[in-house]
This record gives sequence, structure tokens and C-alpha cells, in this order.
Amino acid sequence: MIKITVKLIGPLINLAGFSEKTLEFPAETTVEEVLASLPIDPQRPKIVTRNGQAVAPGEKLKNGDRLAISPIYSGG
Amino acid sequence: MKGWTGHILRIDLTSRTHKIETFGEEFAHKWVGGRGFALKVLWDELRPGIDPLGPENKLIIAVGPIAGVPAPNTGKTVVAAKSPLTGGFGDGNLGTRATEHIRKSGYDAIIFEGQSDKPVYVYIEDDKVQYFPADEIWGKGTYDTHDYLYKIYGKGVGVLSIGQGGENLNRYAMIRSLEGRAGGRPGIGAVMGSKKLKAIVIKGSKPIPVADPEGMRKLGIEDLRKVGEINKQTGWSIQSTTGVLSWCNEVAALPVHNMRQTHHPDAWKIDGERLNNARIATYGCPNCTMRCGIAIRDHEGHESELDYENIGTLGSNLDIFELDQVGSLNYLCDDYGLDTISAGDTLAFYADAIEQGAIKGDFRFGQAEMAKKLLGMAARRQGEIGNLLADGTMRMSRAIGSGSEAYAMHVKGLEISAYNCKFCPGMALAFATCPLGGHHKDSWVITFEIKQTKRDSYGPEKAAKVIELQRIRGGLFEFIVACRFPWIELGWPLEHYPEYFNRVTGLNWSLDDFWKISDRIYALMKFFWVREFPDWDRTRDYPPMIWFDPSNADKDGPIAGKVLELDKFNQLLDHYYEQRGWDKRGIPTRKTAEALGLKDEITEVEKYTKLE
Repeated sequence: MIKITVKLIGPLINLAGFSEKTLEFPAETTVEEVLASLPIDPQRPKIVTRNGQAVAPGEKLKNGDRLAISPIYSGG
Repeated sequence: MKGWTGHILRIDLTSRTHKIETFGEEFAHKWVGGRGFALKVLWDELRPGIDPLGPENKLIIAVGPIAGVPAPNTGKTVVAAKSPLTGGFGDGNLGTRATEHIRKSGYDAIIFEGQSDKPVYVYIEDDKVQYFPADEIWGKGTYDTHDYLYKIYGKGVGVLSIGQGGENLNRYAMIRSLEGRAGGRPGIGAVMGSKKLKAIVIKGSKPIPVADPEGMRKLGIEDLRKVGEINKQTGWSIQSTTGVLSWCNEVAALPVHNMRQTHHPDAWKIDGERLNNARIATYGCPNCTMRCGIAIRDHEGHESELDYENIGTLGSNLDIFELDQVGSLNYLCDDYGLDTISAGDTLAFYADAIEQGAIKGDFRFGQAEMAKKLLGMAARRQGEIGNLLADGTMRMSRAIGSGSEAYAMHVKGLEISAYNCKFCPGMALAFATCPLGGHHKDSWVITFEIKQTKRDSYGPEKAAKVIELQRIRGGLFEFIVACRFPWIELGWPLEHYPEYFNRVTGLNWSLDDFWKISDRIYALMKFFWVREFPDWDRTRDYPPMIWFDPSNADKDGPIAGKVLELDKFNQLLDHYYEQRGWDKRGIPTRKTAEALGLKDEITEVEKYTKLE
């Protein structure tokens, strides 16, 4: 198992019911598998970063990674 | 001609006289309204080199053809003048009830010229213009000013006012309306103050000229409902713009410590989640169903309406991570009528300059109480420090010297909004090429840059995206005059806007017609700058030099050890200029300007510089 810290941003917090949580997943879990485990519409446009860098849905995560999931903001 | 009233109200504050002028289809179709009208009037009527705070400058209040019509987010008005902060073209927009009343009074724009000998406010009701002494409100903040005027005229009128900042010619003073709405970052409130014009009150009773009034009313009301529905479904208004703070902190783009740092462990204390939890009221502009203004109780107990830019510049950039204290600084800026972004950046620069030993002083990062005191001094130009702060970072750094120019966070004199671009080349380009200076308004490319491109790329795709967004945000939404949020935040299709425009005007324009007008306006804005600064070269389009300084690189986090590279940034500027049809100096070529129908403007600008 690997531990991934999931940080949600904006209204995604209200959808998922938490802001930041460390969750356990099987080794080699991908980004999209983590996303699928959350109660967030998969069709909703999102920007996902791993440790502050953009990440592709198929990328495998490592123990201790931080995944930030945000709606697409466009500036105030 | 439908859609436009065809009238501009010209008010001479020196003689306290006014006249109503007419314009025809050619002007309307070429410049449309808002930013387009304001720019063209300032270009035609201002002599280059005039003192922006003297009687020769003109204050333009301009609306667009769909402004005030019931349709998504059409409550906005553009305010413009030659900027006392930058010396170039300056404008901004704000949500206000004045939008509807300007149109209902029978005008598409109001020009204020000259200078009153005594403080006045102006009351406009249709064709009637009255001048009243402002003795009882001169020296007061915008909240008291609005209350005073509402007591006389009722809350339904449109009010635009300045605070002590504008009165005392603080160079980043703004114009304020409603609860927390403000516009005119490049010192447009100071121009109003220089004319001793404390407030404009307007009430109109005429119908807005719409080609298809019934069709537009039905469509507009239905679309307002739909936008409100999407907002509910997505939950955007839960945090509004302030969700961006956490994201910037994650991706190392948050302004911290005068933008020397890009993230901070205490950022969560002032994030959108905390703000929403502290919410006591929600505010929005007229004709809006996705209200973005989240008000909290500040440290002193005032209601203070915050958005991301306020929190980023008055909070994290000053190392202040107490939300109620950020609320206090924001409230003071609103009351004094100061731009929160420039005010925050200017205080951050001052703290940094003290820390670097460039100037002596007691102010330190994180000191909220001292920051409040300094804001008051800046608004009133009290003492040497108040005067220094009131002039903004560019002039402060020139006065202080000792290498402080490198960390004065501005472009062309306008302080940079709340995105730290020490390793975001595309967003740095957006700031660098914004026609006002360091503003996020015209092009906000940072999420595209991080999600869809390699962050360290300086390729043509980033220049193309900056231009695409400038055409939409800095063009379309500024000349038809509507808020961009339904499109940019909720995905409301852009195709709706020609539909509204055509129902109002009876024309049959497409988005492509709009893009040509956007490009025309961008070319003329650049000509405006060039006429003021005939030695123009590309270095004026550079972001602050500290973003290129390896010693300023983050020590940890996602972009540790990385900064922008100047030679590559120059390549990115080349891509931008080439795609725009501008020369290597960043000036539109003759061919480009001719294709945009700027024949007379070419003749004028060539008195100052030769076009390629």
C-alpha cells in the first residue's frame, strides 16, 4: 500500500466532504484511479498536480505523493 | 442606429457647463463602446506629454451596447484616463448601478474635462446636469460618501465616488461603487480627484435603445437563470475567485514576501475555505447570478468584501496570514478608494527595501497594524513616507535606488497582480504585454500554462494563448462591456455574446468581427504608449528583473532552483510580436495598422516614431 495526500480545492471540498486527507491505495495506483475513488463528476474539467507539477491521468503514484485537485480557475 | 444611444455627455468642470454630442455608425462600429470608446476619445483629444493630474487630462466613463441590458453580467462600466501611475493608457471596469442609469439617461459615454476650483459632486438626470458643493463629503471615505448621497437621492441611483486616496492624488487611487466594487487600477480615481470631482450620481428614465427589445428581454432573463443554475451546480460561488489561493500555493505561484517566495505553510489560514466559513454576506454587481463578493467581519468589526487578488496582495505578499486583518486592510483600501493590488505590492516593496537595507524604517513583513497606519498615510500623503508610498513601487524604487528597482514588482509602473511568475513564462508574458501594465485582467494564462504546456516552455503556443485571451478578456468583454466570469469560470459559451449584441444592435456580427476590433484596440493602446514614450523598445515589455535572478530561486518546493531565463523570454516576446504583426520593438507595423483601419492613427503616431 502507498499513502497519498489528497488536497482538494474550491467547491470540490464540499462535494467530497474533506479538504485534505492522507489516503491509502495499492502500490502503482494511477492518478485517474485516485480521482475515480472520489465523489467528483469525472466529466468536470479539473487541473491535477502531483507535488506541484502537472500530471497525466495514467501516471503511477508513489508513496508520499501529494495530489492537488482543483477546478479550472480563470483568474479574478 | 439601434443599440447605441448615439450620445456622449461632455462636462467641463472648469466652467461647469455641459453639452450633448452625437456620434454616428462609423464610430460605433469601429470602437463599439467601453474601452474602445474611451481609448479613441483619449487618443484624439489628449496631447502627449500632458500632466495626467492636470486639467488637460480627461476622465472617461463609458458603457457598451449590451451594458445594462438584462443579460448575463452586464452591470459593468469602464473608467479611463491617461494614467498618473504609468503615464500610459489607463482604464478599468467596475460593477455599478451607474451602468444602467448612464444608458437610461441617454448616453454611451461621459467625458469629464477641466478642473473644478472647489470640490464638487455632479448629479446627472437624463439631460439635466447639476453641480453641488462637496464640502460635506470631501475628506471622507467612500462608505460615508455613498451613505450621504443615498440619503439624498435614494439607493436606486448610480454612484461613483472617490475616497481620500483620489482626493490626495495617490497614484493608485480607484473609483468605487456599491459595497466593494472598484475600478481603474492605474490611478483613475486620482484623475477624478485632480478634477476635484468627489462623486458622480446618475439617474436615468429613458428606454435603452434595443433593436429587438422583447426578444432580448426573454433571451437575457432566461440566460441569467441558466448561468445561475450552472453556478449552483458547480458550486463556484462557494469560494468564488478565492479558491485560486490554495492552487497557487500548491503550484508555487503565490505572492509571498514581496514575491520573493511562492508558497507558504500558513497560506491555508487565509484560503477560500476559511473565507467561506467566515462569510457574513455575499455581494454582486447588477445583472449577476453568480455573485463573487464574499464579505467577512474584519478585525475592527467592519464588513469587508474580499476576493483572491485582495487576499494575495494584502495578505500573503505581506506575510499576513490572519484573515480578519487582511479584511481590515481591504476595508481600508475600499474606504480610502485605493487599489488593493497596488497598495499591497507597494507596502510589500517598502518592507522588502527596509529588509534589504535600501531604506531605513520600522515596518516589517507580517505587521498588520503598521500596514493599516501606512495605508492611511499613503491615502492622505502624510509625511515623507506617505508621499513615497502614494507614488507606487516604480517611483519609490527610483527614489530609494540601491538596486531596489530589481524587486519593485511592477510592469510599466502598474503593480503586478497576485501571481508570482518567477517560473511561469507564459503568465509573465501576459503581465508583460498587458496594455495597462502588470495586470491579470487582460490575459490569465497560468492554468493553461501549467495544465496544457510544459511549464519551462517559451514556445509560440504560450504567446498564442496570451493573444487569444487578450482578444476575449481585454477586447470583447471590455468593449461590449460585460463581466467575463460566466464564460471564464462557468464555461458559458462565447457564442452567446454576438447573439446578445446582434439582438441589441440589429446587426449580424460574428466572433470574428469582434476579434478584429480587439486587435484594433490593442494596436491603438500600444500607439498611445508609444506617443507618450517615443523611445519605446521591448525592454518596456519586460517583467521585473528579479524573476530572472538565479539567487531569487526557490530553495524548496515544486520549482526549487528555477527562474525565468531572459534570452528565452526574449524569444517568447518575439513569438508574441510576430503573431500580433508587431515589430521587434513591440510596435504594430504599418501593414498591421493599415489592415486594422488605423490610417489616421498611423499619421499621428509617425510624428513620434517611424513605423516598420
